[in-house]
Amino acid sequence: MNIGDIAFLIPLLPALAFVVTLFFGKKMYSGGALLPIGAIGASFIISLLITINLLQNPDQVIHQSVHWFAVFNLGILIDPLAAVMLTMVSFVSLLIHIYAIGYMEHDPSKPRYFAETSLFTAAMLGVVLSDNILQMFIFWELVGLCSYLLIGFWYQKPSAAAAAKKAFLTTRVGDIMFLAGIIILFASMFQAFNGEIPEGVYLLQFSEMFNSIDALSGMTATIFGMEVGHLTLIALLFFGGAVGKSGQFPLHVWLPDAMEGPTTVSALIHAATMVTAGVYLVARTFPMFLAAPDALLVVAYIGGFTALFAATMGLVMNDIKRVLAYSTVSQLGYMVLGLGMGAAVGLEAIGVSVFHLINHAFFKALLFLCAGSVIHAVGTQDMRQMGGLGKAMPVTAVTMLIASLALAGFGIPGTAVGTSGFFSKDAIIETAFVFGEHTHDWIPYIFAILAALLTSIYIFRLFFMTFSGKSRSKTKAHESPSIMTVPLMILAAFSLLFGALTIKPFINFMEQTFENNVISLNIEHLATLGNYNLVQEHGHEPLLILWLPVIVAVAGLVISYLLYYKQVIDISKVVSRQNPVYRLLYNRYYQHRILTELLATRIVYETISLSADFFDRKFIDSIVDGTGKVTMSTGNVLRRIQTGVIQNYVTAVIAGVGLLIVLLKLIVEVL
Amino acid sequence: MLPIISLMILIALIGAIVTLFTKTKEQARMIALATSVVTLIGALYMFFRFDSESPMLQFVDSFNWIPSLGVTYTVGVDGISMPLVLLTAIVVPLVVLYSWNESKDPGKFYAMILATYAGVIGVFTSMDFFLFYVFWELSIIPMFFMINMWGGPEKGYASIKFLLYTHVASLVMLLGIFAMYFGTLFQTGIATFDIPTLLAQYQLIESDLARTMIFIALLIGFIVKMPAVPFHSWLPHAYVQAPTAGTILMAAIMSKMGAYALFRFILPMLPFTGSTDLMVSILAALGVLSIIYGAFLALAQDDLKRMVAFSSVSHMGFVTLGAMAFVPLSVSGAMFQMFSHGLITCLMFMSIGAIQVMTGTRLISELGGLAQKMPKLAFLMVAGFMAYLGLPGFSGFIAEFTVLNFSYISLPSYVIAAIFAIVITAAYHLWALQRAMFGVFNEKLGDIHDISNLQTFSMAVFVLLALYFGLNPSPVMDMIITNAEQIVGLMAVAGV
Repeated sequence: MNIGDIAFLIPLLPALAFVVTLFFGKKMYSGGALLPIGAIGASFIISLLITINLLQNPDQVIHQSVHWFAVFNLGILIDPLAAVMLTMVSFVSLLIHIYAIGYMEHDPSKPRYFAETSLFTAAMLGVVLSDNILQMFIFWELVGLCSYLLIGFWYQKPSAAAAAKKAFLTTRVGDIMFLAGIIILFASMFQAFNGEIPEGVYLLQFSEMFNSIDALSGMTATIFGMEVGHLTLIALLFFGGAVGKSGQFPLHVWLPDAMEGPTTVSALIHAATMVTAGVYLVARTFPMFLAAPDALLVVAYIGGFTALFAATMGLVMNDIKRVLAYSTVSQLGYMVLGLGMGAAVGLEAIGVSVFHLINHAFFKALLFLCAGSVIHAVGTQDMRQMGGLGKAMPVTAVTMLIASLALAGFGIPGTAVGTSGFFSKDAIIETAFVFGEHTHDWIPYIFAILAALLTSIYIFRLFFMTFSGKSRSKTKAHESPSIMTVPLMILAAFSLLFGALTIKPFINFMEQTFENNVISLNIEHLATLGNYNLVQEHGHEPLLILWLPVIVAVAGLVISYLLYYKQVIDISKVVSRQNPVYRLLYNRYYQHRILTELLATRIVYETISLSADFFDRKFIDSIVDGTGKVTMSTGNVLRRIQTGVIQNYVTAVIAGVGLLIVLLKLIVEVL
Repeated sequence: MLPIISLMILIALIGAIVTLFTKTKEQARMIALATSVVTLIGALYMFFRFDSESPMLQFVDSFNWIPSLGVTYTVGVDGISMPLVLLTAIVVPLVVLYSWNESKDPGKFYAMILATYAGVIGVFTSMDFFLFYVFWELSIIPMFFMINMWGGPEKGYASIKFLLYTHVASLVMLLGIFAMYFGTLFQTGIATFDIPTLLAQYQLIESDLARTMIFIALLIGFIVKMPAVPFHSWLPHAYVQAPTAGTILMAAIMSKMGAYALFRFILPMLPFTGSTDLMVSILAALGVLSIIYGAFLALAQDDLKRMVAFSSVSHMGFVTLGAMAFVPLSVSGAMFQMFSHGLITCLMFMSIGAIQVMTGTRLISELGGLAQKMPKLAFLMVAGFMAYLGLPGFSGFIAEFTVLNFSYISLPSYVIAAIFAIVITAAYHLWALQRAMFGVFNEKLGDIHDISNLQTFSMAVFVLLALYFGLNPSPVMDMIITNAEQIVGLMAVAGV
C-alpha cells in the first residue's frame, strides 16, 4: 500500500475525534482529551511518513481528486510545501493538546474544548492539503469558525464574547476579498476557456490556475480609472484574505484581542498555525503573484510595515499574552515580507518565508505555553504582578529563555551555531538586503532591521519583568506538572536545533514545490510576465550585513537588561500618561476608537443601519398604510352612493358595462 | 402508477378537514403528524425515483376539469419543483412536532397548517394556470387565519395587511393570467390554461406593450410574495406577529412560491418582453438592493424575530440576483438557495420561538447570557446562525457561492455590491449572538430551562440537513441544473 492512499485520513481522523468528543467527552477520561490526541498523533505519523517519502522523490507529489458538484471538485495535493506544513501543524497541535490536559484540568467545559481544538486541527490540515482554492476557502472559513468558538470559549465573560465577534468580523473583511478573488479568477478563466469548460477539468484547481496564468496575464480591467491587470487584482484580493487571517496591517486589530481565549488556544491557533494560513495562501498561489505586476511589492511593504508597527506596540503592553500577540503580528509581518522579496529572489522567497513560519511555530508556541505555565501558577496575566518567578519555575524560565533567544535571533553568523529564529529571520533580512541592493529600494530592509531591534527589546522586557527581580505576586508560584513541562522541553529543543540542522535542505526542498508531476512551471517566464527582474546568483553579503541583525538583537538585550533588570533609570517617568508617544502606543494607535467606535458603531450601525430602519418604517411602510387609509376613506365616501333608488343602480350598471365593452375592444385591438 | 402528487394534496386536505373537527389536542396533533408523515413518504419516494437527467415533467397526473374553458387538472414535478416539494414535505411534520403543545384551539391550528400545506404543494406542482391560481389563493387564506387567531399583540393589523397586500398582488397576477389566456385564444382559437402552451404562445403576441404589461402583472404577483424590496413591508408585521409555526411556513415555504414562479414563468417569458435588458437591470438591482438593504435593516433591529425577518429578505435577494444573471449555474444556485434557505430559516425561527416562550421576550436588549441556562438551544442556535450567515459546510454557502460566482460572469458590478453585504450579514448574526446568548446571564429573566426534547429533535434535523446538503449538494443540485440549463437554453434560442 502506498502511504499517499491514506492521506485523506490526515484531516478526517481529527474531524471524527471532534464528533465523538463533543457528544461523549463527558463520560471519557479527562474530558475525552485522549481521543483527539490519538487522532492527531496518527495524522502526524502519516504526515511525517509522506514528508519522508517526498524528501526522497520531491517530484512525485500526492494528488487525488473527485467530482463534487456542478463544476467543482474535492481533492488532495501534498507537495513539499504542503507536506512540511502538515507535519508542523499536526506536531505542534499534538504537543499543545498534551499540554492542555494539564492546563485545562479544572475547567468543567473540557469536552467542548478538546472537541473544538480537534475540529480546528482537522480544518487547518484541510487548508493545507486542498488541491483547489475553493476547498481551501471552505477550510479557511472553518478554521475561522473554530477560532471564533475558542476565543469565546469562556463565553460568560463579556470581553471574550466581544473579542470572538471582533476576530470573526475582522477576518471576514479579508475573507470576502479572498472570495471576490476566487470569483474574479473563475470568471477570468471561464473567459479564457471561451465559456466552454471541458469535461473533467476543474478550473479552481491550483494546477489549472497556474496553467492559465499566460492567458490571464493579458486581461486588464479599469478600476477607478486605473488600468489593472486581472492577475494583479486577483493576487491582491487573495492577499487581502491573507492580511485578515495573518493579522497584517490594517486588519491586525483582532489578534491581540483574541488573547481572551485559553492560552493553549492562543498558542495553537493565534501563534503557530491558523494565523500562518495567510502566509501559506500566498506561498501556495505564489506563481500568480510572481506573474502579477506590482503585487509582490505590495506584499513586501505591508509585511515590512506590519513587522515594525506591531513591534512598537509590543514594547508597552503589560499583559504577557498581549506582548506575545503583538510579537506574533510582527513575526507574521516578517514572513509576509519574505514572500514579497520574491520580487528579487523568485522561488527562494517561499523557502525563506516558510522556513521562518515553521521555526516561528516552534518558538512562539513555546513562548505562549511558557506564558500559560506562568499564568497557571500566578493566576494573572499582568506582568506588573509577576517577577522573580525564575527560582520557583526553573523549567519554565529556562525554556522561555531559549524561546526568547530564538525570537530575538541569537546566533553566530557564518557558523552553524544559532537558535532556529536566528537562521530563519536572518535569512529574511538577508533577502531584504539582496532586494535593496538589486532594486535600490531599501525600505523593506530598514523596516526589517528596526523591527529586529524592537523585537529583542520587548521580549527581554517580558522575560525580565516576569522571571527576574522580586516577586510582586500574592500567590506562591510553583512549577507546572510534567504533562505541561515535557511539551515545553520538546519545543525548546526544536527552537534551539531545528534551524541549524535543516536550513539548506529545507529551502531547497521548498523550491521544488512547483516542479513535479502535477505542476511544472517556468519561473523565469512567470517573473517576466510580472515585470520582476530576478537576481541570478547572489553571493556573500558584506561582513557587517551578516552581523547587523545579531548586533541589534544584542543591543536590544542590553537595553532591556539596563532598564528592567538593573533599572538604571526610573522607567516610570517614560511610562506615563503624560508622555504622548507612550499614550499613542498604549492606546494601540487608537485603533479601537477608530474602527470599533467610529466605523462600526457610529457609521455602520448608527448612521446607515438605523436610518435605513427609520426610512423603512416611516416611508416605505407609510406609503402602504397610506394607500390603505385612502382606500378606506374612499369607501366611506362611496357608501353614500348606495341610495337604494333602482334608477341609480341601473344607470351605474349600464355605464359599467359600456366601459367594459370599450376596454375589451381596446384590449382586442392592442392584441 | 399511483398519482402520488394528487394523493399528497388530497391527504393533506382531508387531514385538514378531519383535524378541524377533532375534539382533543391529542387527536388533533396525532392526525396532523400522521398526515404529514404519510405525505413526506410520498415526497421522499418521488425524490428518490426522480430522473435528474431529464428536464421533463415527471409523475404527471392529468384530467379535464372544466373543458368548456380549457381548464385542466394537471400536476407534475420537474427539477424546479421537486426540491421545493421535498422541502415542504420535510418542514411540515417538523413544524407539527415543534408546536406539539399548542393548546389554543389545537384542532383549528393544525388544520390551518395542513391546509396551507395542501395549497403550497398545489402551487409547486400545478401545470395549469387556473389551478395554479386556485392553490395560490388556497395557501393565503389559512395563513391569514393563522396570524389572525394565534398571532401576537398586533395580530389584527398584521393579518389584514398580509391578506390585502398579497391578495391585491394576486389579483394583478390574475389579470396577467387572463390576458395570456385571451391572447392565446385570439391567436390560435384554443382555449387553454395549460402553462407550457401559454408560455409558448406568449412570445407570439404581437404587441410589445401587451407583452410587457402581462410580464409586469405576473411579476407584481410574484415579487410581492417573495418579497423583494421595496414590496416587503407586509413581511415584518406578518412574520413577527404570526405564531412560530406560521412564521416558519411563511418564511420557509410560502416565500418560495413567489420565487418558484420566477423560474417557472418569469424566466421563460423574460427574453420576449418588450424590454428585456431593462427588466434584467431592474430585477437584478432589486435583488442586490434586497440583499444589502435587508442586511442593514437586520442590523438595526432589537427584536430577534424582526431581525431574522429582514435577514430572510436579504437572503431571498440572492434568488433574484442568480435568476437574473441567466447563466445556467447562477440560475441553479438561485434555485438551490430557495431550498437551502427553507431549511435554515426554520432553524432560526424555531430558536427564536423557543426563546420567546421561555423568557417572554424577543428583545435582544432584555436577554443576555442565555447559553448558560440553555446550552442545547445555544448549540443549535449557533449552528443555525452560522448556517444562515453562509459558513461553508452548510448548504447556504453552496447556494450563495454558486450564485455569486456564476452571476459575476454576466452581472459583475451587481455581484461586487452584493459581496460587501456579506460582512454586514455576519455582523448582525454575531452581534445578536453576543448580546443575547453570551456574556453575563440577565438575572431578570428568572429561572429558565432548556428546550424540550421534541424541539431539540426538530431543530437538530434541520442542522443535519443543512450540513448534509452543504457537504453533498449533488442530489438536489443535479436535478436543478438539468432544468436550469433548459431554461437558459430557451433564451439562447431566442438569441438573447
